[in-house]
Amino acid sequence: MKFRIGIQMRLSAAVTAVMVILCSFGGAFGIRFVIDREECFSHKVEYGNTVHFSFVVIKSEGSWHYSEDGVDLVVKGPNGEQIHDIRDKTNDKHEFVAYHQGVYRFCFTNKSPYHETLDFDVHAGHFLYHDEHAKDEHFKPLFEHIGKLEEALYNIQFEQHWLEAQTDRQAIVNEKMSRGAIHKALLESAALIVASCLQVYILRRLFERKLGASRV
Amino acid sequence: MKWAAARDLLALMLVIAAVMPAARGLWLELPSSGPKCVSEELHNHVVVLADYYAFYGENDDLNNTVSPTISVKVSSPYGNDLYDKEKVTHGQFAFTTTEAGSYQACFSVDGDSHGGKTVTVGIEWKTGISAKDWESVAKKEKIEGLELELRKLEDAVQSIHENLNYLINRESEMREVSETTNGRVAWYSIMSLGICIVVSVFQLWYLRRYFQKKKLI
Repeated sequence: MKFRIGIQMRLSAAVTAVMVILCSFGGAFGIRFVIDREECFSHKVEYGNTVHFSFVVIKSEGSWHYSEDGVDLVVKGPNGEQIHDIRDKTNDKHEFVAYHQGVYRFCFTNKSPYHETLDFDVHAGHFLYHDEHAKDEHFKPLFEHIGKLEEALYNIQFEQHWLEAQTDRQAIVNEKMSRGAIHKALLESAALIVASCLQVYILRRLFERKLGASRV
Repeated sequence: MKWAAARDLLALMLVIAAVMPAARGLWLELPSSGPKCVSEELHNHVVVLADYYAFYGENDDLNNTVSPTISVKVSSPYGNDLYDKEKVTHGQFAFTTTEAGSYQACFSVDGDSHGGKTVTVGIEWKTGISAKDWESVAKKEKIEGLELELRKLEDAVQSIHENLNYLINRESEMREVSETTNGRVAWYSIMSLGICIVVSVFQLWYLRRYFQKKKLI
């Protein structure tokens, strides 16, 4: 009798464990793409999941532009309702709870005339605990807490990805600044030399004309 | 018996997970001509597993009997082709990175006889820690349930730690670049000023000589 109960306990715990493993599969997808005018992504979300998303503009193709290179992002739910509307930002991070199950659309719009490289990450936490199938009262709260821990760790990984993308952007800005400093200095020196040669030449011509006129 | 029902549900979920590989992934719409490329920055020695699945329309209706064919090309940062397949509807590719850099996957629609329907491709990819094959680890080390979950968490924490180290190194490199730029800006400003002064002195000397030669001074 005791032996049979023991096996049953172990089996249902194993089943619950596998369910938890399957269900709390942290789906995080970080990708980079080049946006021209508009780019849309869709993601299927289950009911009740918290969806975290972030984006960072890594670089902009135009080299001598001074305008803000931000993009717009519109998040729409499965029934077409607008969840988030972000305008003209170079990086942002948000989350929302999915009250409807279905396909959520993330649409980016690029307003500047240059191509921009964008890093987009979306992470949907799954919370499917089929409590009615776990017969064991000892393991249930433990698995629940482990699930929460897993969720927290996946969140940390998501935020790290965002931080990494921002660091990439900063590295590119830094390198541009360094190269720009050298180019600016060289151009300035060249411009000064050309300007003074021009000055000398114009003065010579002026006086030669005057001298020529007065001597004749 | 309750746990027989649990087993059935589990089997059903496994079947669903196997049949719809990219149902959990990100979907993107392919233009009717030209490739659409997505990329990711990866470190060295990272395992990458990816599934892709093409379908018509904006929702994956399981009633669709017709599926579009696409061509897929995955390239490494140095331009080598890691995976190249044409006229496929769904597939899988896996590789281990041998160099750090930007890995790109390009999808393009085959032909143009799709009758104006939008072709969507679902991509699901796992890199590094999430691509680890836990079933084989569980079987090899004979752990299950709670212990397996905790092992996964331990691996996740380790990968977070590694990421953090990488970020720290990145930050120190950037700091060095910033400081060099700062030094350079200072030196180049002084150089510019020096050139300005030298050139104007030269101008003065030249003009004086010129006017003296023309007996104006």
